[in-house]
Amino acid sequence: MFRYIVRRLIQMIPLLIGVSILVFLLGHLAPGDPVRMLLGEEATAEDVARLHAVYGFDQPLPVQYFRWFSRAIRGDLGVSIRQTIPVKTLIFERLGATIELAVVSVIIAILLGIPLGLFASTRRGTLWDYLTMIVSLIGVSMPGFWLGLVLLSYVALNVSWLPMFGRDASIMGGLWTLVTQFRADELINSFRYLLLPAVALGTSMMAIIARLTRSSMLEVLSKDFIRTAQAKGLKKSVVVIKHALRNALMPVITMVGIQFGAMLGGAVVTETVFAWPGVGRLVINAITQRDFPLVQGGVLMMALIFTLVNLLVDVCYAFVNPRIRYE
Amino acid sequence: MVRRSSMLITAALLVVLAFSAVAGANNDTLVIASGAEAVGLDPRLETDVPSFERINLINQALVQFATNMELEPTLATEWTVSDDTMTLWFKLREDVKWHDGVPFTAEDVKYTYEWVLDPANGALNLGLYADIEEIEVVNDHEIIFHLSQPNAFLMNNIARMPITPKHDGDRADFRQSPIGTGPYKFVSWTRDDRMILVENEEYWGGRPNIPNIVFRAIPENSTRLLAFEAGEVDIYQGGMVAQEIGRLEADPNYVVQRTPGTGYNYLGFNTKVGSLSDVRVRQAVSYLINREGIVTNVLNGIGTPGIGPVSMSLPWFNESVHIYDYSVEKAQELLDEAGYAPGDINLRLYTNENPDRMRIAEILQYECQRAGINVEVIIEEWGAYLARVQETDDFDIFILGWSGQLDPDRAMIRQFHTNGSNNYGKYSNERVDYLLDLGRTVPQESQESIDIYREAQEIVVREVPYGFINYTEEVGLHHPYIGNWEVHPYGAAAWQDAHLMTKNK
Repeated sequence: MFRYIVRRLIQMIPLLIGVSILVFLLGHLAPGDPVRMLLGEEATAEDVARLHAVYGFDQPLPVQYFRWFSRAIRGDLGVSIRQTIPVKTLIFERLGATIELAVVSVIIAILLGIPLGLFASTRRGTLWDYLTMIVSLIGVSMPGFWLGLVLLSYVALNVSWLPMFGRDASIMGGLWTLVTQFRADELINSFRYLLLPAVALGTSMMAIIARLTRSSMLEVLSKDFIRTAQAKGLKKSVVVIKHALRNALMPVITMVGIQFGAMLGGAVVTETVFAWPGVGRLVINAITQRDFPLVQGGVLMMALIFTLVNLLVDVCYAFVNPRIRYE
Repeated sequence: MVRRSSMLITAALLVVLAFSAVAGANNDTLVIASGAEAVGLDPRLETDVPSFERINLINQALVQFATNMELEPTLATEWTVSDDTMTLWFKLREDVKWHDGVPFTAEDVKYTYEWVLDPANGALNLGLYADIEEIEVVNDHEIIFHLSQPNAFLMNNIARMPITPKHDGDRADFRQSPIGTGPYKFVSWTRDDRMILVENEEYWGGRPNIPNIVFRAIPENSTRLLAFEAGEVDIYQGGMVAQEIGRLEADPNYVVQRTPGTGYNYLGFNTKVGSLSDVRVRQAVSYLINREGIVTNVLNGIGTPGIGPVSMSLPWFNESVHIYDYSVEKAQELLDEAGYAPGDINLRLYTNENPDRMRIAEILQYECQRAGINVEVIIEEWGAYLARVQETDDFDIFILGWSGQLDPDRAMIRQFHTNGSNNYGKYSNERVDYLLDLGRTVPQESQESIDIYREAQEIVVREVPYGFINYTEEVGLHHPYIGNWEVHPYGAAAWQDAHLMTKNK
């Protein structure tokens, strides 16, 4: 297992280099000039030329890339053109908010999605099955920003302890005060702010998990070993949970992994609607501003996280299904 | 037993929640919801309005624009501009201290401008101050600017450059945690979330009424409005949800303030290539801009129909220029005269993804169709769009807007001078060039200045390098318990007098 993980980590290197070249080229070859974006509509030709020289954009592309790359491998992702703050600082100060939102959304999605799918699959063809599937279809189809605004206008506006926007203390900070000072208020406060964005973000994932769990369960329930288990006279709950669900979860884990990776890259829409200070907004703004160092750093970071989460998913397989061994 | 204890825990949780919700409302803190986050807080480096809204609370310029758009004393108590507009003299306040207690002097002023004028520092606004040749410190509280060429309107640019401290301005993180001379001191900033300011108890203009100010960045208009209506923020700022303005104005729980702004939106014409190089075709298209319809239906009444480049609130505004009232007939006559039959003219109209601009483009496409002009609307991403307009002549029409047009020089010389840095449509007229050059050499308060710019406006409106769509309007939205605040025509100056504001919730 250990060797497998190391091998996978080494394989990530060429992948990340490829991503960095691709992002670099996409950024620099797309029309739009960071200096012009910086200067806005009032740019003069002299100002543009002067700032091109300041930022080194007057150099050939390969020179610019290798200059950036040689710093990046030493952990220096450069400085944001627009904000003159190190890219690493900008990303790390938002990473906590993004991880928090993604983790809680995934937990909500799993806690609701798997039981829903299980419920529907064991009542196949009944009214309950159809109802559950209709609900999850609505969940999948609802655009995130719309659901967010609905939650704000109907839930947050009427429930005064649910705030409309923003983020308070981090969950880790809240846990720390709970453990060290036995005060729960900070932790509760951070959940107050987190609840609606997490529900808005988690809903579609919950619906996808429910649907996937149902179809996967139906497939497994028709297998021979389930009939054997039933013939042995095992209780229905044991057959469903212990024998069927465990096998049915494989595709669900894959899906959760991919979605989770994507969420860590930033849930731009949810972050915007709830004014959540996450990585997604940062990178999207950087793209519209052609803030190259920030875009490159941000995308590289997301690629890194995404591949790490994928590795984690593969490792999880081995735990869920002991037949899978990694050498 | 288990059930009872879980009920107790739930009850305890609810009590905690109830208390934490109430904690937000107090009269010591003003919460401003802003549509966009500041980029930074260094007045020498920033160019965007959201940054300057915050900067103007912390740092101050020598003079500032009052809400009637006249210059008023700030760090300078008196000033004179010589008759040839080449020399500016300032007398500075003597009772001003930086937030760290160091006295403010003429050396700080000299330092700030010299920093901006040094190309190595990469100040984006260097061009606004490029005519300053030498800065002479007479004594601690007197300073003289010598210009290399006449620039009657430099005073207005000086009002846009808050002074930074010589003893602290080179600190590496000054841009993220500045000190200034203004009514509020910087405390902390969580980017994309909140910026906290606290009163400067020793402010030379008097101690602020509200001790704390918090800026919250809420990018989504609907969320910002909901947060405002829920009472979580005191003032709503930034892009208005236009469909909502009627409802908000009718509701006694909210105060809506409106004032003419300092910007305008326009159609830019390519005056060198294609059929729009014929002035009659440009005039025809200008007749086809349904300005009333656009202001009412696209902008929901926020703004006024466009006339020319100079804003109506400025003394230079020429009300007797030709008015292109929407008329398909007049457009057709002009096209006939120019020898074009219906269907002869095909124009490519570019815009970016701005929803208002896209709707304006569609309306224009429809109106042009009625006069027999085919318009193809092409929507591009902002960066690509700017590159096309600024670097190529590969377009017939584009839609853009100007903001902060505080004087006629700013509203015209870059746009309509043959050598103007923003003359994207390559417009050229010798008389206009002459007038715009001349305007800089006469004091801006003189009748001569007014005459010069009235004539320039007349020519520009007649020759239509731009089709003027609308003048902007500034809208301020707050709760009635906020007092002593007036919405400013120049958005960046919105909070410069925040120390006078009151909150009685």
